[in-house]
Amino acid sequence: MKNIRNVIMMCAGLLFSSSCTNLDENLLGSPAEPFVSDIPSAAFEGGGAGPGDALAPAYSQFRNAGNANHGGYWSIQSVSSDEMAVTQKGGDWYDGGIWIDMHRHTFGPASGPVDSAWNQQYTAIAACNDLLAGGLDANGEAQIRALRAYLYYRLMDLYGRVKIVTSPGDNPPQATRQQVFDFVESELLDVLGITAVSSSMDLSGSALGTDKNPYRINLFAALGILSKVYLNAEVYTGTGRYQEAADAASYVIDQGGYILCDDSNCIKPNPGKRPAVDSDPENLTGYATVFAPNNQDSPEIIWSVAYDGVSAAGMNFNMMSLHYSSQFTWNFDSQPWNGYSALEDFYNSYQDGDARKEINFLVGPQLDYGGSAILDYAATDGELELDYTPDINELEPNASRKGGARLNKFSHRLFERNEMDNDMPIIRLGDLYLIRAEGMARAAGDWNMAAPDVNTIRARANLGPLSPLNEDTFLAERGREMFQEAVRRQDLIRFGKFDDPWWEKTNNDAHKALFPIPQPQIDASNGTLTQNPGY
Amino acid sequence: MKIKLLKSLVVIGAFLCFGFIQAQEVTGTVSDVNGPLPGASVLVKGTTTGTQTDFDGNFTLNADSDATLVFSYIGFLTQEIAVNGQSTINVVLQEDAQALEEVVVVGYGSQAKKEITSAVTSVGEEEFNKGVVNDPASLLQGKVAGLSIYNKGGNPNEDPVVRLRGISTIGANSEPLVIVDGVVGASLNNVDPNDIASINVLKDGSAAAIYGTRGSSGVILVTTKTGGAGGTSVDYNGQFSLASPARLLPVMSGDEFAAAGGVDLGSRTDWLDLVTITAATKINNVAVSGGDGNSNFRVSANFREAQGILYNSGFKQYNTRANFSTRTFNDKLRIDFDASYTKRNSNFSFTEGLRYGLLYNPTAPVLGADSPFQFDSETYGGYFETLGLFDSFNPVSIVQQGTNQGSKDEFTYSANFKYNLTDAWDLTALFSQQSSKILNSGYAPTTLLYLGNASSPTRKGLAQLYTEERNFKLFELYTSYNTSIGESTNLSLTGGYSWQQQNQFDYFLSAGGFPNNKLQYLNALEWSTDLDNAGFANYGSNNWPNDRIIAFFGRASATINNAIFVNASLRREGSSRFGEGNKWGLFPSVGVGVDLNQYLELNNVNLFKVRLGYGVTGALPPTFGLSQPQYQDDGSRLSAVPSLEPNPDLKWEEKAETNLGIEFATNRFSGTLDLYTRDVSDFILLATIETSQSVTGANQQYQNAGKLQTKGLELSLNYDVVKQDNLSYNTGLNFTTYKSTLKEFITPQEMRANLGSPGQNSTEMIRVKVGEEIGQIWGPVFTGEVVDGSQVLADVNGDGTLNTGQDQALAEDGDFAILGNGIPDFELGWSNQLTIGRFDVNAFFRGAFGHSLVNTFRAFYEPRVGSQGSYNFVNTKYADPSITNAQFSSLYVEKADFFKLDNLTIGYNFDIGENKYIKGVRLNVSGQNLFTITGYTGADPEPQLVDIGENTGGAFNALGSDPLAPGIDRRNNYFSARTYAVGLNINF
Repeated sequence: MKNIRNVIMMCAGLLFSSSCTNLDENLLGSPAEPFVSDIPSAAFEGGGAGPGDALAPAYSQFRNAGNANHGGYWSIQSVSSDEMAVTQKGGDWYDGGIWIDMHRHTFGPASGPVDSAWNQQYTAIAACNDLLAGGLDANGEAQIRALRAYLYYRLMDLYGRVKIVTSPGDNPPQATRQQVFDFVESELLDVLGITAVSSSMDLSGSALGTDKNPYRINLFAALGILSKVYLNAEVYTGTGRYQEAADAASYVIDQGGYILCDDSNCIKPNPGKRPAVDSDPENLTGYATVFAPNNQDSPEIIWSVAYDGVSAAGMNFNMMSLHYSSQFTWNFDSQPWNGYSALEDFYNSYQDGDARKEINFLVGPQLDYGGSAILDYAATDGELELDYTPDINELEPNASRKGGARLNKFSHRLFERNEMDNDMPIIRLGDLYLIRAEGMARAAGDWNMAAPDVNTIRARANLGPLSPLNEDTFLAERGREMFQEAVRRQDLIRFGKFDDPWWEKTNNDAHKALFPIPQPQIDASNGTLTQNPGY
Repeated sequence: MKIKLLKSLVVIGAFLCFGFIQAQEVTGTVSDVNGPLPGASVLVKGTTTGTQTDFDGNFTLNADSDATLVFSYIGFLTQEIAVNGQSTINVVLQEDAQALEEVVVVGYGSQAKKEITSAVTSVGEEEFNKGVVNDPASLLQGKVAGLSIYNKGGNPNEDPVVRLRGISTIGANSEPLVIVDGVVGASLNNVDPNDIASINVLKDGSAAAIYGTRGSSGVILVTTKTGGAGGTSVDYNGQFSLASPARLLPVMSGDEFAAAGGVDLGSRTDWLDLVTITAATKINNVAVSGGDGNSNFRVSANFREAQGILYNSGFKQYNTRANFSTRTFNDKLRIDFDASYTKRNSNFSFTEGLRYGLLYNPTAPVLGADSPFQFDSETYGGYFETLGLFDSFNPVSIVQQGTNQGSKDEFTYSANFKYNLTDAWDLTALFSQQSSKILNSGYAPTTLLYLGNASSPTRKGLAQLYTEERNFKLFELYTSYNTSIGESTNLSLTGGYSWQQQNQFDYFLSAGGFPNNKLQYLNALEWSTDLDNAGFANYGSNNWPNDRIIAFFGRASATINNAIFVNASLRREGSSRFGEGNKWGLFPSVGVGVDLNQYLELNNVNLFKVRLGYGVTGALPPTFGLSQPQYQDDGSRLSAVPSLEPNPDLKWEEKAETNLGIEFATNRFSGTLDLYTRDVSDFILLATIETSQSVTGANQQYQNAGKLQTKGLELSLNYDVVKQDNLSYNTGLNFTTYKSTLKEFITPQEMRANLGSPGQNSTEMIRVKVGEEIGQIWGPVFTGEVVDGSQVLADVNGDGTLNTGQDQALAEDGDFAILGNGIPDFELGWSNQLTIGRFDVNAFFRGAFGHSLVNTFRAFYEPRVGSQGSYNFVNTKYADPSITNAQFSSLYVEKADFFKLDNLTIGYNFDIGENKYIKGVRLNVSGQNLFTITGYTGADPEPQLVDIGENTGGAFNALGSDPLAPGIDRRNNYFSARTYAVGLNINF
């Protein structure tokens, strides 16, 4: 019996020692809090993913905010406009009709891309709030507040009524569009160290400073954001703020030291030059350099998102737009998807001789890397040669595989990966010229006020002065300049054209100018989010 | 199932003095009241000397004159007779009433079958599925009411999906808990089907609750074979089989394709024929077993070499198992030691070979040399490729050039010590360890377009490696005590502690850009030009935290008047996967059974029992770390970004189940009926959260997301139609039906299961809705009319507008409808056993009825899409040549009811007379999957209980699976095979 007692004692000892009820979970593979690498990015010299400073967590989440890839922010801003469409090519790209609905303005609250765009912005906002809660230096705090204000400006633009969350875990009520506008405006003014934008403002008190790092927000970038906010203020609040838009843009143009790229001041080697194709230029010049794979030090860019084939994924225009066989044009690493193409009318809004026409689009017969014609063996019309035509036979269901001019503004490098190297400009000087032009014209009620700036922009595209100059021609000019930069929907709304019919879009429901609050978000909100009117 | 309880021998303090004892020959006959007993064990007590009686019950052995002989036989009381100089000893053994009563292994012990108050089904070796069975679960396919086992297509490298009573959990692991010889959570892959003596399935919550958290999806208890007392015997089993594709999806021939307007590339190629083979499987098993009264052993070696019907797929497996058991310390201590090792080398090949085998242009040549236009064959290893087409690859090139293989080592051992403190009180300690290693490697050579990127001028070839090492430790300590209260009540108490820990380390790497195909990729990773080009090489590693489960448990069983049985158990269990404060859960159960026949005393009725059980089980979250914030690389190595919003409040998913069972048996007929209802509350699911409220910014989080209710009925019937010495026929039927309803959910409804690329992304096909059944296939309805190449869809709600865009799927004015349900209405298994003299015939039929499948092959490739003219077209009876674009609708959802002859086996036991060396020889031939009656046009009408997702991506096997989205027959499913086998069994 002694043995038995010993056994029992042993067992009891075993069971009640703490190690036998220890259920602690110490995660080994993933850090328990956000952190920044101690080693700054070596790739920064060539653009890369941007600087590895303390602000990297927020800027890298901003990079993921759908600025230049398929299925989120960029896609809904672009496909809901008259710039481009994603056609259904028989068995390809129907995708439940979501892109057809986007083109025809028949989308609803369950639209996946509308949900993605929402999540992309809020995920970046959460990273901003997290950094701000942890404490930053004055410049860092100002930058992250400006970045957050920019993200809320996007949400205001897309959805109108959103929750303004400014610290982790907050659950404020859904704000009105006016309230979001007020928040965005006050945050930007605050980090600029001013109470109002005017032609005589003094920005010396701003913690943002004037350092020129295209991947970080300086005071010129913040002013650029503010000019966009003011330009669209009438849409958001009913009250026009055009003079302030012009004043903000003007300050950057006059004081920023940025340069509008033309053929003489911006010349770069062409990363997409095929040795065997003589028609490929050795160099890119002017407008083309602002969007090229090597655009990281473009003097026209005030603020951009760093994209890189190796370390900064998120720009996939090559995959999204080009035909499968265009892989062989530049010998891409992988096969493109043949999705997006420009609408014929939009393509035709460029006159011949407009330098931007050739830069922004890819049309005509295509040659492979070695200079031979590219063949498409699946062609059913008997024309095996891959030849992009500006016209598209139909939106659905059997759109031509070769139909539509392809998106080429963000040009390609040889052996490009499916992640592109081009940076995505968020604020650039060319845009600010047009904002100043429009702001002045609308403030004065006279489109002739726009002439100097709009003609500057036209001049670098080798075009003469815009004539006649009126609301419609100005919109068209802005469209040609800003193609593929995700502003067309905004412009159409501001010019009152978003309800107009174009190509296969006839829907004129006014409420479509605001996207619906995504249904999954309403479902998850316990009734704290309500749907926009009309949905 | 019967377990022979080893009767211990009492050692008497007699010391043998060899000098005086004379060895002599003893002969005799062992019989029972009916006549001689062949195969009875005769043993000289205290030695390993022994023999077995022959066919006529006779024995001969040498024994010392003062020795004692021990006579034993299963089901009879053991007798001891002193030799005392006798040369002839004849014995009549008495039946052991207790031993004849079936004993069933339940959690932490065993019980007499009649004492069980929960739904437990036992399947013995003789009832297992016959023919070629490469995994233990398939032994049970169709045999247990309520247990669904489907290996859709029958890929030999994939484990079947096992579901007990439908969906028991959603986010958590829905595979049943496996216990091998008492080792909780053991790997079923480390047990060869030939080594299994019996399998018990604990179906309801009251049986499984003793296993707490992991019992929700049911418990499968595997008992492996052990050695018997009396001499050594050798058992050999050999099997050879040939399998060929049983059903293939109809596609067009080259001529039909050209006539239908497809691009004619000049050749006529039957691609499916080229990527499939007649697959041979060889199985050899040898087992040696033996023992005496104190110890016994069994050692087996199993060799399997299986080919799949897909070219170059299959595996070679070697498994060995040793079971050893002994008693010591005056028989007070019993030690059981089991060890098993399995090594499997697999060739996965590429299931894409089957997919492209169906779809590749039937007019395309195999080789580039036969190309109708100038083609650079050398770049593609001599094969032809249709360059520039989306998702189009020469399947012969894939399966012949590509390599996709893996090896897996599994080692398990367990040591079980049971010490009898008193006759009524014992203490058991179990320690077990399992380790497994996986090394998967794949290589797409520089000349392979698929994965290998052969068309790239710079980076051709891709090598991928994945390796995983997993360790599992289990320690359990429990004690049992038996007592009587008064004269009529027996009470049995069990209590204990359980501790287990799982660790895993894994890493993968992929690298491409090889100079040529002259190198063996596993030996030449250093040649990868990815070393010179940042960003191409891909690697990652993952090390688990100590993943622990700790539990305290107890059970009380009472038997009153040998007619009323009461069982109650309680388990308090904790897991490291939950946050502080939510780690521990409490899982109770109670059951009552009444043997009504004790009171009714019905004539000719052996059993008439009614039982009622209630039990609560839990379910673990699918992975660890869910309660803590986790961050991952932002892709630029600059900063860490959130990967998942943590949920520190995540708590145990609980399943409460009530089961009513009726068991009835006469001499010839037996039946069991079970009715159950189960409520799974707080089920764990990866849920969308309001992104603005996410602290990390991640928009998904594991949550206790809802409540699911399943109601079901299971019926098993068995009848001995003929029961004579030379002729017997037994038939058995089991019937299963259940319905699962979503009772509560985080959102009122949502869509799941994307159809996929090309062209049908954002096309989710399954609706999950509160108040509705699980498994609803939801989509637009085809009217039968086609206009301009498009299906005309129905205005389902009749409001005059057609809203069939996918984002309208759940909208009030959307024109969507239920197109079918992925879960069968009912499932049937019908077994037949006929014995005529030395012949025996087994026929097993199986069917599932009422379920539908989305035939995704058709959804993608049946429309005559002009712009994809280089794909072949699926050409079933539903094919409508006027449809020229792809749109998911009711047209692609088919009823998939089926009834099949799963297995037919004919065996013959040779009359070998009195052979000195061979005790028995049996030969059998079998056919599997011999015919299937179904209207389904796809390759396999078996239900698809979980969604395996869009695509495997080629290199390695598929990722997660979604139990909320059953009913989707994906393009990467294997094609089912028909198998003919011949088997030989020799017993020495």
